[in-house]
Order: sequence, then structure tokens, then C-alpha cells
Amino acid sequence: MIGQDVTIGFITLFIAFIILGFYGRYWRKGNLNHVHEWALAGKKLGTTLVFFLIGADLYTAYSFVAIPSGVFAKGALYFFAIPYVMLTFGIALVTVPKLWTLAHQKGYITASDFVKDRFSSKTLAIMIAITGIVAELPYIALQIVGMQAVLTVMLADFANAQVVQEIALLVSFTILAAFTYTSGLRGATLTAIFKDILVWVTVIAVIIAIPVSLGGFDNVFKNVKANYVTLPDALVPAYSTLILGSALALYLYPHAINGVLSAESAKKLRTSTAMLPFYGIGLAILALMGILVYSVPSAMNFLSGFPESSRGILVVPSLILNIMPGWFSGIALLGIFVGGLVPAAIMAMSQANLLTRNIIKEIKPNLPDSSEIRITKIASTVFKFIALGFVFVVPATYAISLQLLGGVLIAQILPAVFFGLYVKSLKKVPLIIGLAVGITSGIYMVEAANDFGPLTSSLFKTTFGPLYIAVIALAINLAISFGGSLVLKKKDQRM
Amino acid sequence: MYFQKKHIVLALLILIPSIINLAVPLYNKAAPEFLGLPFFYWFQIAWLFIAPVFYLTFSKIVSKEK
Repeated sequence: MIGQDVTIGFITLFIAFIILGFYGRYWRKGNLNHVHEWALAGKKLGTTLVFFLIGADLYTAYSFVAIPSGVFAKGALYFFAIPYVMLTFGIALVTVPKLWTLAHQKGYITASDFVKDRFSSKTLAIMIAITGIVAELPYIALQIVGMQAVLTVMLADFANAQVVQEIALLVSFTILAAFTYTSGLRGATLTAIFKDILVWVTVIAVIIAIPVSLGGFDNVFKNVKANYVTLPDALVPAYSTLILGSALALYLYPHAINGVLSAESAKKLRTSTAMLPFYGIGLAILALMGILVYSVPSAMNFLSGFPESSRGILVVPSLILNIMPGWFSGIALLGIFVGGLVPAAIMAMSQANLLTRNIIKEIKPNLPDSSEIRITKIASTVFKFIALGFVFVVPATYAISLQLLGGVLIAQILPAVFFGLYVKSLKKVPLIIGLAVGITSGIYMVEAANDFGPLTSSLFKTTFGPLYIAVIALAINLAISFGGSLVLKKKDQRM
Repeated sequence: MYFQKKHIVLALLILIPSIINLAVPLYNKAAPEFLGLPFFYWFQIAWLFIAPVFYLTFSKIVSKEK
């Protein structure tokens, strides 16, 4: 059922994407043998570019796949992604321009650099670097799951679809690795703009075409169960804590901090951050597709050809294919496909920065610049392929659940990174213990909530109702970090 | 005194959108609908348009300070 017009549009645009990626090398030229030139594009990105670069992290395959998939399966609960997006930029406004200013004065490239300097603790800095690298991995894997969803829909008619799909992913990743190796963040930013244009065109077209073909939203909500119309009361605590926990976590991810530090000035960073909630509008439309799809018989029919567990991730690509004309589907599907590729590149680069600067360099302090950049580039390639291997081995639904665990982990670096910016009384030992306890208790609660079986839930049942584990573990972590620092301060005063 | 007042204003510009969106029971209802969307959905989408007004005001004040 996939016409040639779909394939032609898809492939033509993919070639344009590759050319842009390699061209990035020559764009706003700098010496790419320096880490800050390669990884932060020489810190020269203005309001608009930072808006696109950070927005690109938001509009990942995660928003195309995981959120609509969650709404499709569980209803209103997964709409938490919309207020979360709004809230996270408020938190960012208070924290990241300050981090930018310090980074600018002292030459930090990662959050770990800041922590090491602020608390003079190598241990804490290395722990934070490792947490960042680990938490980022399932996020990259999810991007690949999104790309897989596009390929699955496009290859639905092929007998050996599985093989074709894996080869296609391997080829795409090799190309991606090649251009991030040569162009660094410049290539990623250029392709991010390209990707965002495709995504916005798709979102706008879909929001006009779908209600028109369905005769408004009224009927849509009459076709679904009550938990798709509003949130069941029992899930209200879960909803609030999912908003809060995710909003606190987003800007702690290494790729987000990387994006922030590539801004040209704190003022430009503030302006672009303040406008980023607009990005959530597209996300809201995508989330609603998880409900809309129930009113589109052709899409539901198409989905019924796939195993039930993988239908969710195919919601958006199937809707596009079944409602839009063929040539347009090609464009839109490519938008989703590169919507996974571009963030994967940015994420792997930020992991590589952490590995070389904050782990390898700690062990070998006199590493020459030329080796540093080489190791960083190679590591960013390796991380991409680790994530790819992960997706080939682990089923897609499992990858989405692991992403929630990533959120639980990354939230634990908040006391050192965010509070470290403003609170003078924090001390390194309580922060180290807090981080360790936060992570251990977080992992334990995730395991317990899933009866030590496959991860499907990140909510922990408490007397207040089910709560997002990231928030509970962070509360424990904060209590230790602040409590411990207070005790140490009193002890110092007595002596 | 002026100094403190400004900080309260700044805090409110971030806290008001946050608290309203975290207070889920406030908007967890189906009616009134807008363009066929239940209140729950359009209320949260509306905040994506309102929040930047708060945030841009915050940015303007902070950037002027420096």
C-alpha cells in the first residue's frame, strides 16, 4: 500500500539532510580541533538557533512515539507531557542562565566541570558524569525506536521487512556518525533546523486535515472511554508528580546542558528559553493523535495488522499515511525519522564530552588537546552504536520504560547542579551520599513497583496515591544533602 | 525595599504558571468544551500560549538588571 510517491519524497529529503550535515563543517567556520568548537559550535549560537537546538531535543522521536503511544494505551495520564514542557522552561529560566554565566567565566563545557570546581570534589564530579552517560543511553535508544516505527510502517508490505529495516538503520547511523565526526554541533544544529521545518509543516498540516476529515473533535471524544476524556481521580497525584519530576529532570540531561552552553549570551538564552513553551503546541497535537486515531477506521485497520504491544508506537506514522496524500506522507515520515536521528547525534556528543573531560581526563590529567578531541569524536560514534545495538536486542516497549528509569536517575544530580548554583551552604560529602542514596532508592522503587519483572511502570504506590519515583527519590536525596550540610555547618561552628 | 519587591515579582512570574498547572483538580473536567476539546485538554494547551508572556516578562526584568 506504500506508493512510490511516499518513497521518493522520503529519499530525496534524506539526501538533502545528509548534505546539510556535512556542510555544517564550513558553516561559521572555527577550528574544529578544539573541543568547545566541535561540541559547542564555538559558543556562538544566537536566540533563534538556541531555540531550534533545544527545541530539537524536545521534539524527539520520544514526542512522536512515546507520548502518543502512551495516550493511545492509557489515555489522559500521558498528556502530562504538555504541562511538563511548560513548567520545565520556567525552571530553566531560573537556573541555566546562571550556569551559562559561570561557564562563560570559567570555561566549563559540562555540568560536571561546574560541580568539580564548585565543590572541589573529583568524586562527585565523576559520579555526576557517569549518571549523565547512563541516563542518556535509553534516551538515544528511544530515538532509534522512533525511527524503527517509521521504517516498520513504510516496509509493511515487504516479506523480509525486519532485515531491510535493520540495514536501513545501520546505514543511517553510519552516515550520522560520519557527519557528526566531521562537523560537530554545527552539523547537528543545521540539520535540527531542517528537521524542525519538516516537523512543523507536518504538525500544522495534520491539525488542519484530521479534524476536517473527521468533522471536528466532538465525535472523537464520544468514541473513547472516560479515562481518555479526563483523568481518573486516583491518577491525579501521579499526574502532578510526573509533571514535576520530568520538568525538573529535562535540563539536567547532558544534551540539554550542552545546548544551553552553546548560546551566545545569557540574555539570548533567556529570551529563547522563555519562548520555548510554544514548542509544546506541536507536542500537544501529536499527543492528541493517540486519541484521534480511534476515530479513523482506516488507520485502526492498518494498526490491527501489527502485534498489540507495538501498535502504540505506530500511531502517528499510520495516521499520517492513512490521512495524508502520498507525497506528503513521504515528507512527514522523513520528518519523524530525522526527528530521531538529530537528537541521537546531539545526545551521543554530550555523552562523549562527559566521558573524555570528566572521566578519562581525571584519570589521565595531562592528556594533550589533540588526543582529547580524537577520543571525544570516537566516543560519540561508539555511544551511537551501543544504543543501536541495544535496540536490536531489546524489544521496543521495553526501551520506552527504560527511558522513565533514565529520568529517575538524572533527577538525582539536581541538588549539586541546580542548588549548587545558588545555595552556598551545600557541602560535598552530604551531596555524594544524597546522590548515592537517591539513585539506589530510585532503582529499588522502580524494581519494586514492577514486582522485579520487566519495567512497565515508574509510579510508586504511596499513602498519597501513586507517585512518580523520580520525585520520591529526589526528596530523599534533597533531605540528605541539605540535612547533612546543616549538621556539618553546626559542627564547624562548634570547633 | 524596591529590591525585595522585584524579587517577589520575579518569583511569582515563575510560580503562578507552575502552581496552576500542578494543581490538577483545578482543570480535571470535561466541560466547558472548546472546539470539541474537553476542558482538561484545551486548558493545558492554552497555558502553552500564556506561559511565554510570564516568562518573557521575567527575562526582560532580569536582563535589565544586569
